[in-house]
Amino acid sequence: MKQRFLLLGTAALLVAAPIASVAQTLPAASPPTGRATGARTTLSGYLKDAATGEALIGATVFVKSLGAGATANEYGFYSLTVPPGRYTFTYTYVGYAPVEETLDLTASLVHSVKLSTKGVETAEVVVTGKVPDQNVRSTEVGVARLDARAIKLVPALLGEADLVRAVQLLPGVSTVGEGATGFNVRGGGIDQNLILMDEAPVYNSSHLFGLFSVFNPDAVKDVKLVKGGIPAAYGGRLSSLLDIRMKDGNSQRLSANGGIGLVSSRLAVEAPIVKDKGSFMVAGRRSYADLFLKAVPEQKDNQAYFYDLSAKANYTLGEQDRLFLSGYFGRDVFKFGKVFQNSWGNQTGTLRWNHVFNSRLFMNVTALASRYDYGLGVPTGTQGFDWKSDITDYSAKADFEFFRNPQSVVRFGASSIFYTFQPGHVVPTEDKSIYRELRLQEQRGTEWAAYLDEERSFGPVFSVQYGLRATLFENRSTGTFYDYEGTLGQQLTPVNPQTYGSGRPLGRYPNLEPRLSARYALSESSSLKFGYNRMVQYIHLISNTTAATPLDVWLPSTRNVKPEHADQLSLGYFRNFKNNAYETSVEVFGKRMDNQIDYIAGANTLLNQNLEGELLYGRGRAYGAEFYIKKNEGRLTGWLSYTLSRSERQIDGINQNNWYANKYDKTHVLALVGVYAVSDRLSLSSTFNYSTGVATTVPDSRYVYQGLVVPNVNGDVRNNFRVPAYHRLDLAATLQQKPHPNRRWQGSWVFSIYNVYARRNAFGIYFRQNEDNPTRTEAVRLSVFGSLLPSATYNFNF
Amino acid sequence: MNRFLLLLAAGLASCGLSSCLDVVPLDVPKATPLLSVDGQITDQGTPAAVTLSLTQPYFNDAPPPPVTGATLTLEDDQGRRDVLVEELPGYYRGSGTVLGRIGGRYTLTIVTDGQTYRAETEIRRTPSIDRIEIQFKEKQTDYDEGYYAFYYGPELPGVGDYYRFRIYKNGVLFNKPGDLIVSSDELVDGRYIGELRLNDKPLVRGDRIDVELLSIPRDYYYFLNEMVTQINNVGLFATSPANVRTNVRNTQAGSGKTAVGYFAGYTVRTASATVN
Repeated sequence: MKQRFLLLGTAALLVAAPIASVAQTLPAASPPTGRATGARTTLSGYLKDAATGEALIGATVFVKSLGAGATANEYGFYSLTVPPGRYTFTYTYVGYAPVEETLDLTASLVHSVKLSTKGVETAEVVVTGKVPDQNVRSTEVGVARLDARAIKLVPALLGEADLVRAVQLLPGVSTVGEGATGFNVRGGGIDQNLILMDEAPVYNSSHLFGLFSVFNPDAVKDVKLVKGGIPAAYGGRLSSLLDIRMKDGNSQRLSANGGIGLVSSRLAVEAPIVKDKGSFMVAGRRSYADLFLKAVPEQKDNQAYFYDLSAKANYTLGEQDRLFLSGYFGRDVFKFGKVFQNSWGNQTGTLRWNHVFNSRLFMNVTALASRYDYGLGVPTGTQGFDWKSDITDYSAKADFEFFRNPQSVVRFGASSIFYTFQPGHVVPTEDKSIYRELRLQEQRGTEWAAYLDEERSFGPVFSVQYGLRATLFENRSTGTFYDYEGTLGQQLTPVNPQTYGSGRPLGRYPNLEPRLSARYALSESSSLKFGYNRMVQYIHLISNTTAATPLDVWLPSTRNVKPEHADQLSLGYFRNFKNNAYETSVEVFGKRMDNQIDYIAGANTLLNQNLEGELLYGRGRAYGAEFYIKKNEGRLTGWLSYTLSRSERQIDGINQNNWYANKYDKTHVLALVGVYAVSDRLSLSSTFNYSTGVATTVPDSRYVYQGLVVPNVNGDVRNNFRVPAYHRLDLAATLQQKPHPNRRWQGSWVFSIYNVYARRNAFGIYFRQNEDNPTRTEAVRLSVFGSLLPSATYNFNF
Repeated sequence: MNRFLLLLAAGLASCGLSSCLDVVPLDVPKATPLLSVDGQITDQGTPAAVTLSLTQPYFNDAPPPPVTGATLTLEDDQGRRDVLVEELPGYYRGSGTVLGRIGGRYTLTIVTDGQTYRAETEIRRTPSIDRIEIQFKEKQTDYDEGYYAFYYGPELPGVGDYYRFRIYKNGVLFNKPGDLIVSSDELVDGRYIGELRLNDKPLVRGDRIDVELLSIPRDYYYFLNEMVTQINNVGLFATSPANVRTNVRNTQAGSGKTAVGYFAGYTVRTASATVN
């Protein structure tokens, strides 16, 4: 208990100290009347899209004469404090026409500005920096931002614009295989990415086992991937933050957009609730392969579809207060007659309250819930059962942003997350079922966090963002838990049963997580950056297959499963050429991880009451270099990203305790993306991917047991082989309908070809007996797609 | 539960996004041969039988090279001892001084090539089979029209029983990789096991189905279950290949000359039915 109070005390201090300093520096209720030195005025407000009223995340305001500027936060709020005077303010956002205004500032002023898009959409920059030179100027390292339009311009599998697949084109990001769930960042596992949708964590990012991601591109406004120098405001996962912000909804007029594709159809509607005060957005999509199934008599009882619904509303209560309510509901459903059914999905809900205490102090309070669950079963008969599993979290947090002066922004806050984990509960569906009820131990945990962070610039040359995050995880499960004994690498035996419950947590882990990033400008257009972060992860995805499955469960840290830690160093050189027409960067990183989870050979991770007896723990390391060249201007835009890296682990009990390559380790990963604007109406795009094959184990020998041929590898080595390299070319053409001044309806066709040269890329290499001649053994290659996949999609908006 | 993953992967095919499998040539590493053991002692009143061979390169389809001239000794928990005799090259059989019995524990010692290996096993309690029933099924989602055999029998109360089903059609064992069926009573403890389907494809008049219910030790269940995973390990949710456990251990710990395979004790209960 004492320790906990200490930690909470520290957390309270972290939060209280800045509040105290805020109080000291806050202007009095009346405008400050000229102390001779340091008189200040603050210009603050929101930066918005003129046509839709959407907040422009990361838009900037800049005063050239002072060399000072500010960036709009996730809600579009900005605050810039300057001495009283007459200044020219320049508001910019990539893809938008800049706005210049000259204002006389005698007192603080609340001033919201609307920016308009630059017209020709096809000429858009694809991956946006925030402002020209932003990549060079900001202290952020290892950050990439995608906007929704970029996601839609990249050639898509079967015409389904996909956020996660677009993210996989960025440097440092890879996947374990075509159509595999999730993504891997800088040698980390898929469960080491904190995926936030309007601040709610998303526990499974995939529809259809990983072919598509759960995010409807029509509902997404802004996507930011942070893989190094993660700010103190975020934590809980080792490798990255994928921050997805949904559209607020058009606050100016009713508008809609949608599309009809091969796999699914989409529709999104946005409208003001009260013009300029509130708006909403509802976006849904559904796949319809199952409608075709119904036409086939043999398949008429079968179903296979996914759908998702994203909705958001916001309302301005007054000058200072704004409420946001957002929700997501997605589901995949499979049903084979009365024989088998399975469904899974995420649900999230977020309620946020923005409060502007004054022009320099911004607060956001969030309450959210997130859940991933699946069900599986046989509906009737002697085999009838129903199996359910879920992870649910309820979370509350408060985040403050204090714009001290143009040189300093202080952020602080605190949060708590309450988790429940039900790894599996099976019930028989009827009396004659052969199954009995089996409920795996439910677990509960609480994750507390408090942080303090300052972004500070010391003149134009040097700036730094540093912070500290204090976290505490308590496993509050009640029940009987065991220690495990035996030979490492083999199934362990549960021993020493002990009862845990209130007052006796199954694990309590306090951690301090320092974060730092710094920038040193070498010239106007080049800089060196450095990042360090310590990350801690208290929940773990238990997945033993090469690609994660929808049935994998999340589990918290316990007495035996310790929290994972990662220390990462990154160093980057950023340089822009030709007045920002080209952005380039080279980043190197090194990451050290502990308490990485792996599995004994043949581990059974589902419905296993003694799962911890099949887990092994050890160290991980990843290092690499990322090269990035991006062309921002002209008819041809796009980027090249290349990552050279290694990701390994050393776990006692596996591979004779030697280091081995992670299953997602890929030496080379290359992505080339090009978008060519042929005319105002026609644009062509193309992507090319190349990557080293993933690591796997191949048998070196075989034996026959009771007529069945069993593969064997001497010495229990792991990941001794590489699957053949992966490469693929995709093409797409987007043709806009001719605009007509009296018509709001604007349609476009997207034609795409995925896997243009029809390469049978190996997802994996497997070993089996020949079906016709069982004494013969053979290696087989599984290709997720065996040919090229053409598609056509019609998109519209009005 | 891997079966469910296979079903899920089959779901992909039904979405029209069919993946494809093809055989590819592959160079795999070379390995030194290891001792491979395939043996059992049952409660059927027959002596233990053990086949010894060597592992061979993965793509070598020749019959496994037998290990001849080994010394095999079997002891039980009542102090009885039997020396197995090599009846055929690599095939060793007990003389009958040690016979399998429910509750018995057995230790097999193998001396070959200067190494000594030891394997321990036991024979556990067993339920009986009530009957095998033949039913006619109309065409439906998971049945083609025709006759099917179904298993009926109790499961013993108390978690910790493990089973293997061996099914023969007209005297021939279903023995493709997908036919290896093992189960634990964790989800079915003490329940009546009824209407358990035994054949995939419909039977015709005159076909005979024989079922052997083997009550197997826990570790042997895991051996077979791991084998099920490894020999059916293809697809989107496959695991990286990994070795199946063994109960045959070199008595010299840390020796590189390890063994593979299993010497298992189990009961056998049988029942049969013929389609009339």
